[in-house]
Amino acid sequence: MRQVIHISNLGLRFQNKSVFSDLSWTINRGENWVLGGESGSGKTALAKILTGKQSASGEVEINFETESNLPAQVLFVESWYQFKNVEGVANFYYQQRYTSQQAKETLTVNAELAHFGKEENLNFSDAEKLLKALGFSGLRDSQLIELSSGEHKKLQLVKALWLKPQLLIIDQPYTGLDIASRKSLNTLLDNIAKAGVTLILISNDEELPTCINRFAEIEDGKLVELESAKEITVIKEDFERTLPEFLKQSPIYSSSEIAKMIDVNISYGDKQVLKNINWEVKAGEKWLLQGHNGSGKSTLLSLINGDHPQSYANELYLFGNKRGSGESIWDIKQHIGLISPEFHWYFDATATVWDSVASGLYDSVGLFQQLPYTKAKHVDELVAYFGLTEYKKELLSSLPLGKQRLVLLARTVIKNPELLILDEPCQGLDKQQTAQFNQLVDELSHHGMTVIYVGHFEAQLPSCLTKKIVLKDGEVIANEEIIKNRILEEAYSIVE
Amino acid sequence: MANYFNTLPLREQLNQLGVCDFMDNSEFLDGVEALKGKKIVIVGCGAQGLNQGLNLRDSGLDVSYTLRKEAIEGKRDSWKNATENNFKVGTYEELIPSADVVVNLTPDKQHTAVVNAIMPLMKKGSTLLYSHGFNIVEEGMQIRKDLTVIMVAPKCPGSEVRAEYVRGFGVPTLIAVHPENDPERKGLAQAKAYCVGTGGHRAGVLKSSFVAEVKSDLMGEQTILCGLLQTGSILSFDKMVEKGIDAGYASKLVQYGVEVITEALKHGGVSGMMDRLSNVAKVEAFKISEELKDIMRPLFEKHQDDIMAGEFSRIMMEDWANGDKNLLAWRAETGETAFEKTPAGDVKIGNQEYFDNYLLMVAFVRAGVELAFETMVEAGIKPESAYYESLHETPLIANTIARKKLFEMNRVISDTAEYGCYLFDQACKPLLADFMKKVGTDLVGKNFNEGKDGAVDNSELVRINEILRNHEVEIIGTKLRKAMTAMKTIKTA
Repeated sequence: MRQVIHISNLGLRFQNKSVFSDLSWTINRGENWVLGGESGSGKTALAKILTGKQSASGEVEINFETESNLPAQVLFVESWYQFKNVEGVANFYYQQRYTSQQAKETLTVNAELAHFGKEENLNFSDAEKLLKALGFSGLRDSQLIELSSGEHKKLQLVKALWLKPQLLIIDQPYTGLDIASRKSLNTLLDNIAKAGVTLILISNDEELPTCINRFAEIEDGKLVELESAKEITVIKEDFERTLPEFLKQSPIYSSSEIAKMIDVNISYGDKQVLKNINWEVKAGEKWLLQGHNGSGKSTLLSLINGDHPQSYANELYLFGNKRGSGESIWDIKQHIGLISPEFHWYFDATATVWDSVASGLYDSVGLFQQLPYTKAKHVDELVAYFGLTEYKKELLSSLPLGKQRLVLLARTVIKNPELLILDEPCQGLDKQQTAQFNQLVDELSHHGMTVIYVGHFEAQLPSCLTKKIVLKDGEVIANEEIIKNRILEEAYSIVE
Repeated sequence: MANYFNTLPLREQLNQLGVCDFMDNSEFLDGVEALKGKKIVIVGCGAQGLNQGLNLRDSGLDVSYTLRKEAIEGKRDSWKNATENNFKVGTYEELIPSADVVVNLTPDKQHTAVVNAIMPLMKKGSTLLYSHGFNIVEEGMQIRKDLTVIMVAPKCPGSEVRAEYVRGFGVPTLIAVHPENDPERKGLAQAKAYCVGTGGHRAGVLKSSFVAEVKSDLMGEQTILCGLLQTGSILSFDKMVEKGIDAGYASKLVQYGVEVITEALKHGGVSGMMDRLSNVAKVEAFKISEELKDIMRPLFEKHQDDIMAGEFSRIMMEDWANGDKNLLAWRAETGETAFEKTPAGDVKIGNQEYFDNYLLMVAFVRAGVELAFETMVEAGIKPESAYYESLHETPLIANTIARKKLFEMNRVISDTAEYGCYLFDQACKPLLADFMKKVGTDLVGKNFNEGKDGAVDNSELVRINEILRNHEVEIIGTKLRKAMTAMKTIKTA
């Protein structure tokens, strides 16, 4: 059989809306596809139909090669991987990975891989090579709860590349990966394609493995084939262009010193994750924070946001006060608007869009109080600014990930904070949405807000950033002014 | 030491049992002020100790841990928990003398030894904080007259105490001041501040007394919380196997069923749980739960009477003195039951299926919750206290069964709860022997609705709904649940 997949007359409705109508798609052997398109167009649903996790009308035919020594399986690597603890429960909270607890809640990476290898009858030495190639070897004894979102992504990719199923579908393969890992991944994907794996990547990226030779997107419930990844449609989001008045007010600073760290060290057991960090952030400064996956960026930011238990044993000053001098974490958080992939991951998705944005006023996950009239008006204005008004009563969990991210970005700025901590804020957004959000950051910073921004890709950075700190294996390897037009090269050089 | 409650005149007994005040948010406007700058020293660093300490420190308070010398020298888990999160750790001699508040979060059974060791070291006018009143009320521990004695008891496992705090909420909490030890009249202010420090003030705080807490806690945990869930689980499993239902399926239905069923209880009370059933199933569950209530009422009353008289704790302490002979024998027996030894099968059971195929457990839960509540209120405990110790905690215990069956439940709960659970279970099983003979697979194992046309008599359904909704546990529950609307759903299976 030449055809690996043959889909015809596919139809799917979701909550009275037509997702697919009469969709057809044929994938032949030797073809590797990229599937792009707008957030919510049905890419993930199509992948789930292929794996049998979602039923739909019409015909779906998958022909496995009987001669092949690769497993006759469709594997779908989801963009949102929910791991569980040893008792099968997925109740985690965002700050949990920073707390040391002797009662171990989750498996280690090694145990997780051993379990997977045993179930699928795989040779463990094959996994070793992949761990090395993706820079993951050092994490083998880490518990799942300790991994960052980028590291979880890598773990899922290691499993997929190790299994080498005849058909592999990966939803957002590059999310959260640093530049070096991204390059390694493309090489590894080329290798397994050569070995006979048929690939479908769901992505809007343009830097793809060379084996990708077909391009498509879903438009109006049908599959449309394209010439190249560049042609993938970018829908203009209806971001309202004028900034709400309340965000044009300059933040009122309680101190000219936002954060100051003197010889800060953080370790878990024998593993040191931050080494002798010295860093000073002054009011109004705009920082870029860079480093490879696992270099300690999130830990560094957790110190500033009052989320790390070990901050009490370090010399750390926040908003003019020494950490551990009688302030509460809520006193600290009220100065800050924060987003990170992990924060999104653990956020309570059972709240409505409006409540999620409003909860940013109180730094809570979920809204537990009534808003005064003026604050409620601010929430309305901001929800409108982000083009989310029609979703404001929907549950966060019912929105596609890209939209969810917009909601949490709105939450970040709702209180017009002194400091914005944006840890890969635009993960999961398309280029247009990213550009618009970064423009908002530029505007806010113009009004005096302090910014710390984490991003791997030059194309995705706001232009206001003027200073840069770079971490490598928990140490500061650069702390300097950004020289314009050189960010791109620098961004690459730090990880190689 | 004499049982404290029994030394009180009747008037004072009733007076203390009746302390029950669901506190208004405005009572907490002073925040943590009463403890600001005070040295808080926590004895013990297990799940409650560590998580409460993390919260208190994150609220700007000065927290350190004191452990026994052996725990420090042996670098035990409690020592690692504290030091790896950068807390100061020291021996009793090093830290207790300078402490303003000493928080005793050790297991109940160790209280007498721990308090005897720390009390001489405590400075004049300092405060001793408990999270359970057994030592004071049942063992009759006498505390130095210059010391203030208070209780702050978060009504959730330690991990939840932390998870809810960092998301900006908290867990329902019970506080109390011991009337014999409040020389400076500062006990209540400190208890409230501690509550704010752990986040409890956001989820509803009940002002109780040491006496009311102990007498209701002992009753709740041994009857409905642990005892009845254990009895019901074992009987259900055995019945299914007897009737030829696949053992793996039966094991899964029982292990996760209590959790799914009581999750509905958590959100909507007894009527919310019953509403998950079809009308025919509800009518049947109502009838058998009425029957269960009639059969078990004398046993519930006996347990409550023994608790009030101090008889329960006397016998239990005898067993402690006897090297836990009975406890260990019962524990071994539980570990050997067929349910415990049969792993949950690899079958998918949908959320609704847990209700439709497990009517018997729905009936057990309704009967147990209402009986425990009624018996406590009859004994002089106020409805709010009785609600917390019956309905509120049932889903939390069910969650531990879902994790690792009865053995896990008995491992996690306190020693007193475990002892009481077995005591109840031993007496309850024979009592239900005749009842169980009549039970078929339509009540447990298969879908009750199958082969029925679903029609019910209008007036009967109306009557049943009225009885369910007008029970006092429902009326008080509706009020208390409003204060904790933001409680997270627990996700399993």
